[in-house]
Amino acid sequence: MKKILLGLAVCQAMAGIAVAQDIKIGAVFPLSGANAEYGEIFASGANLAIEHVNADKMLKGNLVLVYEDSQALPTAGVVAANKLINVEKTPYVLSAFTGVSKAVAPLGTRNQVVMVNGGGVGPDLATLSPYFWNVIPLANFEVKAMAPYLVKEKGLKRIAMIYVDDPLGDAALQEMKTELKANGGELVGSFSIPAAAQQFSGVAARVRDTKPDAVYIATYGNQQVQLVKQLRDNGVSQPLASYSAFSTPSMLKLPEAEGAIFTSQQINVNNPDPRTKRMVADYRAKFGKDPNMYAINYYNAVLTFADLAAALQKEGKPLTGANLLEMRKKTPSFDFVGAKVSFADDGTVKAPIQINEITGGASKVIKSAQ
Amino acid sequence: MLYLQLLVNGIQTGALYALIAAGFSLIFGMTRIFHAAHGATFTIAGFVFYEFYAVLEWGLIPSVLACAAAAALFGVLLNRWVYVVIQRHEGSFFTVFAASFGAAIVVQNLIAIFFGKGMVTVSTPLSRSIELMPGLYIAPMAFIAVITAIICFALLHYLFTHTNMGVALRALGENPVLVDVFGLNPKSLGKYAFLIGSVLVVPAAILTAATSGLNPAMGHHVMMISIAATIVGGVGSLRGAAMAGLLFGLAENLSLAFFDPQWSEAVTFVILFLFIIFRPGGFYGRAIVS
Repeated sequence: MKKILLGLAVCQAMAGIAVAQDIKIGAVFPLSGANAEYGEIFASGANLAIEHVNADKMLKGNLVLVYEDSQALPTAGVVAANKLINVEKTPYVLSAFTGVSKAVAPLGTRNQVVMVNGGGVGPDLATLSPYFWNVIPLANFEVKAMAPYLVKEKGLKRIAMIYVDDPLGDAALQEMKTELKANGGELVGSFSIPAAAQQFSGVAARVRDTKPDAVYIATYGNQQVQLVKQLRDNGVSQPLASYSAFSTPSMLKLPEAEGAIFTSQQINVNNPDPRTKRMVADYRAKFGKDPNMYAINYYNAVLTFADLAAALQKEGKPLTGANLLEMRKKTPSFDFVGAKVSFADDGTVKAPIQINEITGGASKVIKSAQ
Repeated sequence: MLYLQLLVNGIQTGALYALIAAGFSLIFGMTRIFHAAHGATFTIAGFVFYEFYAVLEWGLIPSVLACAAAAALFGVLLNRWVYVVIQRHEGSFFTVFAASFGAAIVVQNLIAIFFGKGMVTVSTPLSRSIELMPGLYIAPMAFIAVITAIICFALLHYLFTHTNMGVALRALGENPVLVDVFGLNPKSLGKYAFLIGSVLVVPAAILTAATSGLNPAMGHHVMMISIAATIVGGVGSLRGAAMAGLLFGLAENLSLAFFDPQWSEAVTFVILFLFIIFRPGGFYGRAIVS
């Protein structure tokens, strides 16, 4: 019995040593609920980055990503972020979705924990806090690219807009109003829908009634797929346009989405730099397809932490949020997949925007970024 | 023409809501078990239909049968292995509710594992609207939904008024102790309530797969409609659940003529609150006084 107890004590001590060497970062992703598909995509990129960081021994210690489920809801997101900050003691948390990000940002500021968003695109995410960074261009840039394309290049001047009743939808509406006016277009109708709504035949009737040249959609997740299907089924035959949320596999596979156009950040997966080549090759080998921008963004977000943490360890400084922020400000540029980028003072990175079309179950670039 | 279009849409949505609510209303009314996993039964039925019809391409009838078998099996087994066991140990109403809620979450996650977390749809030309007159678009699926609802409720009416089983089930809903005194087995009758209530989700699940698509998390919305329709219709009244479903569908769509779409769901809850305040027994039920 004594030997067993001694063995258990040794095992416990060794486990303690192993845990002590772990460097934990957190992720507040939707792992269940109507937007869980996004969580899966985000995690695919983040997990690959963790594998690469540990395989390369970039850090003194094993990098571990601790997940908590936000369900893409602000309340659940705050509970999840609180746990990561106060229980797991993570100095760096990956965040997603505009509503969730706005809810968790004050926690990051108060506790000096860096929050990094690679999925939410609400324009006001740029101004939340020095501790809130964005590795994705925000919706104002996407709307700025889409509005002139619709009005000036395609001659579609009368736009009806359907947007989700949350910070992302509201921000997209304001941007669209401004951009249409600036480009000579007209917003002929705007229809907000609750985030949990699933029946849209009535909305389709209202949209048809405005006789638009095109319909712009600003929602996300399973709702946008249901919306597109029901618009088409209910006689809305006008071109559909949206932003980067349209790049999910569910939307690309939807027969009714054929011909829809959407904006997204431009990422050159054929960039010859070693980081891009390795990420794209390993992602293809693991998942049998090219990484989309969300997977790449969260890969970049984890690699950003690894680069900053490695620099801090070299200087013998602890891995705290404040030190990570200070190091980021001192670092002129970062090697992201697809490009070398710099963070602006407001913690955002800017990337060129391209326009894509859904065709044959995939997306095709129809207008490259200028 | 917008009003007529919204009226037609409301009838289609209402027929779907009536079918969704009927199963839950039947189970809750007859057994007083708050079957929170009814939404999970709906999700299972929808995804089984999708798998057999759209993926394996077994054809309509075998797919419908497989879908009905899966829904019935889930409902009956959940009752037998979870609810009956809890009740045998004199578990409270809330213990059963918690178990049911847990089962719904497990099902949601299992479906996400097997089918993915995204949206799937069954593509059919029947869901595509045709312009019958200028500005009025109706899909063949609307007629199918309404006719299916009428057939289902006619069959249920016949079952509950012309068969011994139906009369016994109604008696179970009225007074389970008296049913026992008369020599009938309430547990056995409860099994039939779960069987019929679970199979009732099949038409709605198939129509939803074809019109708006399926996702693993859709059970919550199904439960919301079911609970609201059961309260407004009156606990234990299938006719009431059908009327309430239709009322919600009409109100949700007709309100679009006057308000922004973001208020359409609120309209449903305003109706619910009004009933709770002014007519707590619902359309056809009786006020429950404790």
